[in-house]
Amino acid sequence: MTWLTGLPEAESDWDRLAALSPDAVGALSDVVVAAWDDTDPLLLELARLRIATLLGHRGEQARRSERARVMGLGEEKLAELAAWPTSPQFDARERACLALTEQFVVDANGVTDELVADVTEHLGGVGCYAFVEAVSVVETFQRACLVLGIDDAPGVDELAAGRGPAPEEVT
Amino acid sequence: MKPRIPLPSDAVNELGLADTSGLAPRIAVARQQLRRTAFRMRSVDPVTTELVRIRNARFQQCVF
Repeated sequence: MTWLTGLPEAESDWDRLAALSPDAVGALSDVVVAAWDDTDPLLLELARLRIATLLGHRGEQARRSERARVMGLGEEKLAELAAWPTSPQFDARERACLALTEQFVVDANGVTDELVADVTEHLGGVGCYAFVEAVSVVETFQRACLVLGIDDAPGVDELAAGRGPAPEEVT
Repeated sequence: MKPRIPLPSDAVNELGLADTSGLAPRIAVARQQLRRTAFRMRSVDPVTTELVRIRNARFQQCVF
């Protein structure tokens, strides 16, 4: 439960925060949805769940993305996620992305040329850029929710279902 | 600063950094909108905002 006081009445802490600051929560939600739109959902789901474990975010650990599920990501594989470096459930592409994700979360300054090169080998330069951007979004979102004590933030599937038109470039 | 990833062009932005604006276009647009929204809120005073920004930049070893 959030420690924030003075929030409007609503069904959940997330809804109360959204009622207090609808523009900011809406813009933040759009960033999260965009991160999933620009990235392979299966890779981002693996990264999201690994980030949730590293940060101790139980709500995010329990959630599953429908976008990743329809791409074939199942519980058998997720049960092995902590053992990704050696588990046969994970291929080289996924291992490269998880290695970069872990280092990014623990200490972004420690991300090496080799970690980036491993991801680039599988995703290409543009794909690597989008993946890092998406990981950054997911990590920031989870950290913000943890700091604010928001345990019930919606996942990307709910955010995407509830959003309006994509934000337009404003010049 | 030399980019770690191959980029489609040698274009640079107004800071002289590699122009990555077209690489993850939906995230870029959404981030820009979030920055604008946060700026408009004005709920944190500019001095505190700048102190946090600079402190974070030093912590992250971001020189820009």
